[in-house]
Amino acid sequence: MSQRVSRRTFIAGGGAVLAAGMVPALARGQGGAIRLGTLTPLTGAGGNYGPSMLKAMQWVAGEINAAGGVAGRKVELVSEDDQTNPEAGVRAARKLIDVDKVAAVMGTWASAVTTAVAPLCWESKTFLTTVSGSDTITLLPHQGYLIRTQPNTQLQGKKFADFMVSVGSKRVGILAVQAPFALPTQKIVGEELKRQGGELVAAVVYDKDKTTYRSEIDQVLRAKPDMLYLNGYTPDVTVVLKDLFKAGYTGGKIAQAYAVNQKLLGALPTEVTDGTYTIAPSPSVDSPAYKRLAHALGSDDLDPYSCQTHDHISLVCLAIGHARGDASGTAVKDHVRKISQGGGTRVDSAVDGLKLLAQGKEINFDGASGPCDFNEIGDILDTKFRYERADKGKFTLLKIA
Amino acid sequence: MLGEAAQLALNGLMAGTVLAVPAIGFTAIYAVLRFPNFTVASHLTIGAFAGWVANAALGWPAALAVAAAFVVAGVAGVLSDELLLKPLRPAGALTTAIGAVALTILLENALRFVFGNDLRGYDLPIRRDWRLGALRVGPQQVENLAMAVLAMAAVFVFLAFTRMGKAMRAVADNPMLAGIKGIDADRVARLTNFVAMGLAGVGGMLVGLDTSIDPLTGFRVILSVFAAAVVGGLGSIPGAVLGALAIGVGEELSLLVLAPAYRTVVGFAAILVVLTLRPRGLLGERAY
Amino acid sequence: MENYLVAMAVFAGLYALMALGLNVVWGMTGMINLGLVGFFAVGAYVSALLCKRAGAPIALGIAAAAVLAAGAGAAMAITTARLRGDYLAIITLGFSEVVRLVASNELWLTNGTDGISGIPGPWRGRLTPAAFNMLYLGLVAVAVAVTFVVCQRVRHSAYGRVLRAIRDDDQVAAVAGKRVIAFKVQAFAVSAAILGVAGALWGHYTSYIAPEAFVPLVTIYVVLALTAGGTGNNAGAVLGAVLVVFFMEATRFATGWITALGPVQVAALRESLIGAGLLVVLRLRPYGLLPERIVPVAPPR
Repeated sequence: MSQRVSRRTFIAGGGAVLAAGMVPALARGQGGAIRLGTLTPLTGAGGNYGPSMLKAMQWVAGEINAAGGVAGRKVELVSEDDQTNPEAGVRAARKLIDVDKVAAVMGTWASAVTTAVAPLCWESKTFLTTVSGSDTITLLPHQGYLIRTQPNTQLQGKKFADFMVSVGSKRVGILAVQAPFALPTQKIVGEELKRQGGELVAAVVYDKDKTTYRSEIDQVLRAKPDMLYLNGYTPDVTVVLKDLFKAGYTGGKIAQAYAVNQKLLGALPTEVTDGTYTIAPSPSVDSPAYKRLAHALGSDDLDPYSCQTHDHISLVCLAIGHARGDASGTAVKDHVRKISQGGGTRVDSAVDGLKLLAQGKEINFDGASGPCDFNEIGDILDTKFRYERADKGKFTLLKIA
Repeated sequence: MLGEAAQLALNGLMAGTVLAVPAIGFTAIYAVLRFPNFTVASHLTIGAFAGWVANAALGWPAALAVAAAFVVAGVAGVLSDELLLKPLRPAGALTTAIGAVALTILLENALRFVFGNDLRGYDLPIRRDWRLGALRVGPQQVENLAMAVLAMAAVFVFLAFTRMGKAMRAVADNPMLAGIKGIDADRVARLTNFVAMGLAGVGGMLVGLDTSIDPLTGFRVILSVFAAAVVGGLGSIPGAVLGALAIGVGEELSLLVLAPAYRTVVGFAAILVVLTLRPRGLLGERAY
Repeated sequence: MENYLVAMAVFAGLYALMALGLNVVWGMTGMINLGLVGFFAVGAYVSALLCKRAGAPIALGIAAAAVLAAGAGAAMAITTARLRGDYLAIITLGFSEVVRLVASNELWLTNGTDGISGIPGPWRGRLTPAAFNMLYLGLVAVAVAVTFVVCQRVRHSAYGRVLRAIRDDDQVAAVAGKRVIAFKVQAFAVSAAILGVAGALWGHYTSYIAPEAFVPLVTIYVVLALTAGGTGNNAGAVLGAVLVVFFMEATRFATGWITALGPVQVAALRESLIGAGLLVVLRLRPYGLLPERIVPVAPPR
């Protein structure tokens, strides 16, 4: 008898915990606030950029709301952390789409996260804006529900190859982390090098969770490269640089600027990092949008991702404005190119753009990251790049071109 | 090709010697307490972090930090066993083994709670490898080898010449007879846990000294530890050493044909092969 | 919010399936399986690949998942059938890790750590997300019901008695003339098949699978579910799974109130709760909520 009671209490107790923990159902308002979702890497390998990407979007939302919102409706941001992990990203996106019913998900950073989240978005007709560069992303069957403000792998690979040749590399090796961009980059760099008289002599793809890459490095060094492209993220590139030093490698090193950043330079001794080149897509440092954002975020040297997310939310809100307040993913899809490019008045802020739209005028938004003109599959048409080199623990700017 | 194999064999011998340290711990617990204690994985990590705190946060030299790793992991081992696993022993070896898996998850997450997921390096200078002809070996690897050998020598001396060591061997051999002779099984169990988990902790730190550590450090090498113990014969300490060398070299040589990510598969395959062909392993006695 | 609850119910159903699968080997036959997540992963990948790459219908994918997982289970069992449970514990733990490694590295097959996204689900594109969720809940409920009925029939049959005999003392069973090895291998294969089906269903539901998801923690969830619900009892398996899933989701909301912790710490705390939960159950109530009720058979006259 007592056994049955304890069982019942156990189950009842569990039910009570669940009931107490339940979040009350969110009010669903038609014509109420416009809900937009942000999904950035607040933790994980991209954790350096997620918080400032979010801040940029929060600033734009604040500016828009202060000026009266979009077609009279306030913008409400719901923010989630994708942890730079596709699993976590999918769960967070599910929540944003199913529970918060956002019109757009903005700011996914890692290519693997974007690839995982994209099908959820286009299937639920939610608009997705991303800063991920992998070619494979815009080639997904997204039916127009995806745009990205980062140059794709084709463009980036070509710039890397051009630069490596320009500093005299003849035998290039690539050490890439397992990610959607690994193999496409290899292919493009290989082709470009061949065209310009160089050669891709070795390419190894490694697992991102290891504490040493000694064997992979041995494999690559056996081909005697004079330049190594370290195509990974900060945590694994840190280990690779250490192991390269131990292995006695004295050739050139080049990496993406998001991997070899100031934080990495601070964590490693200068003998290990000196001479490493970095390339990054460059924001439009001369544009008024950039200057305004830099001022708002309190930094002279904005990372490219925050500039891009600034443009993401601006584009989404302007598209909704052009659609006369229809805050749905489909409306954004249908109207975004009408405000991002074309023959309208050039604007560089969402607030100014919304004002003109309310007067019935057409606009062409140029953002902090670049002109923001997209082709049919969601890629940007062009952008500038920034070339730097690590010297004694600091970066020296070589050129922006 | 021969040069490559020689380099790999050298790497393997060094890795295997380090692997032997936690393998001895695992097999010792099996011999005395008669269940596979999977919490060796988390104690490997506990030792690695204890050593890191000693070295990077408190500034101790490596050798002293290793001693700290031993003590902290050993104490953790005794506590976790006394409080959490010992009450399960009456329910049988399999229940205790399941409890051990739950416990290892608990401990690993406790470390994650305190230290987070980021990789951490010890506060040691990064030195270029030495070259001996066509072979290259890292100075840290050599130091690790020395510390591992020292640890193992200490274990052998302990078991062969001290009273408590002999008591441990007696209980492992024949618990009933040992009880009749007046050996306190509980004390022996506690000591076994202390030494075994301490060794696991030392192993964890040695693995991390050359690379970096994170909460998954122990989990990454655990399959190799099991393989070493099984190949050598579960319950046999000399077997664990032999098994560890075999697994270490085997994993490195496998790089001639397999991608680097598949090293742990070698351990798994070794376990399968041994259990099919010679279940008692190289030096073990019972598998049934 | 309803969508979220339905999703949780679907996960509870999938864990119930896995717990039923574990019950076949652990509860009924006394064989330990610490590699549950490995068979789950095999099922998920087989079905995802067949349906996405080869365009197979979902039902075929699930069937293939069951078959291949069963094969893997049989292979595991044959190797260690004669040996003590300890070895089976080690081998099965290793198996699940190897599966994860292969999934992470054979990019040509599994797309590596990027995972496989866009896995088709039944009528996914043509239903609203809410309707899809409800449909899937129905599907999973049917799967659980069918598996439950089958397992109950097995338990009460002569076959089930042999398994129980093997669990309690396999030497006696052998002496009584039962081919112990064959029974053990069959039981393991059946259990693995159930796990494989659960994995396939999970993949089609979430539309995305990646090696990172298939970690030993999942195995511990299932062990906890069965142990808490009642080892040996099929209703206990289902009950335990429901309790574990709701417990875990309740902790998601509970830890949301502790604002001083960062996300990594919250995640670590929640995972430790599962480990701690299992230890508590093993210690205080190792036979679970619903005890195994052995149906008495009339003794021979």
